[in-house]
Amino acid sequence: MPSSVIHAALAFLLAVGLLGRFYDRRALALVLVIIVAPELDTAFGWFMDGAHRTVLHNMVLAAVLAGVLYWETTRERSAIRRRWGARGVRLVWIGLFVHTFAHISFDWAHLSGINLLWPLQDRFFALDGELALSTTDGLIQTFVEIRPDPETGQGVVDAGQGGTRADTHVPNPAKPSDEPEPGPVDRRFPIAVDGWQLYFIVTGAFALVAKRLQTPRSSEIDREGNR
Amino acid sequence: MPPTLVNIAVGILLGVALLGAAFDRRAITVVAFAAAVPDLDAIVGALGIGGANATLHSVFVPLGAAALLYYDTAVRDQSWLGDRYGWYGVRVAWVAIAAYAVAGIGPDAFSPESAAFLYPLSDRYYAVTGGFLLSTQDGIVQTYVAFGEGWLGLETPGTIASHHIETWIDPAGEERRVGIVESGWQAVLVVTAAAAVPVKAFVERLDRTAAGDR
Repeated sequence: MPSSVIHAALAFLLAVGLLGRFYDRRALALVLVIIVAPELDTAFGWFMDGAHRTVLHNMVLAAVLAGVLYWETTRERSAIRRRWGARGVRLVWIGLFVHTFAHISFDWAHLSGINLLWPLQDRFFALDGELALSTTDGLIQTFVEIRPDPETGQGVVDAGQGGTRADTHVPNPAKPSDEPEPGPVDRRFPIAVDGWQLYFIVTGAFALVAKRLQTPRSSEIDREGNR
Repeated sequence: MPPTLVNIAVGILLGVALLGAAFDRRAITVVAFAAAVPDLDAIVGALGIGGANATLHSVFVPLGAAALLYYDTAVRDQSWLGDRYGWYGVRVAWVAIAAYAVAGIGPDAFSPESAAFLYPLSDRYYAVTGGFLLSTQDGIVQTYVAFGEGWLGLETPGTIASHHIETWIDPAGEERRVGIVESGWQAVLVVTAAAAVPVKAFVERLDRTAAGDR
């Protein structure tokens, strides 16, 4: 995974604006919990092959949650609205937004990707490619490629499919590799790899600091005391 | 340089984060545009002044703008910007300057393509690239900056004279290429920015209605 630090930085960058008048330290703490929680699927790895990036890292869960939240927050006797008011509704929706975009989507574009449609389909997908305009090659798009199979001649769609959860292991500090190696285990906790990952840590921190320095307008603070 | 669309996407995310009550179509357009402006130095460079990722990628441009804005809004008795556009204009101006620096210059300085962000004091290109990890065997491993001989060492591919950054306006070979997105994470970033704008517009409408009801 890109480290949780990067997920959190991206999530904070999104949450600063999208939480609107409900933005405060407690809301940020909840965002942090939501961002770290999917990594719990590493724990399933003790008894289930390839559980990490499968059980909680998929778009099916996000879609189901969106459906459930829509039903729950729009019905008349919404439990969230009764208990926590407009603030609770805002927090759960923005929580789902940062989970889907800042966490799952960015993992999709990282290493072996995520088990995108699990449990409907057991197949890892990794988003990689480029989109460019060229004077010699025209429009170049390599995210989804369709090319003929060399043996059968039929068109094959390559959208970055990898293995199934049985043969895909995404390294993580709790389980660095699939096959235990002799000697001491090197558990690596990456904080940032490459310039762009460090960049997002800086940008997320910048947004938090800049927000603090702003003089808030009346519609930007929640005066109802829903805290 | 990372494609300008990436700069714009980060600029939009910063606008969504920081515009607050000033968020509207005009404000987010101004901020997105500010994030795209630094890449215009490819054109300035092609005219023979400086080079791509140099003249407008200098940190002194946003620093100068910030100093001017601070002078106008905090030091002068009558703020020109405040008189004309009120608090809205001041908020948008600050966020636009932030977008110029963070979203316009940042992604280039943090990529191997590098930016000469100290131009004109130094015409050397710098790139903040490397890695930072904790290992149970090797401890803290950090390769972004090298500490040596009393200087902070950043990676540098050369100076304006010795390092050519390929752009569509000044290509290395026959092919002119405009990158739109170069990798998976950039695609995700662009989609995220596109999704954040309508969500922010909706959230703002709710918050303004709530503020109006009081």
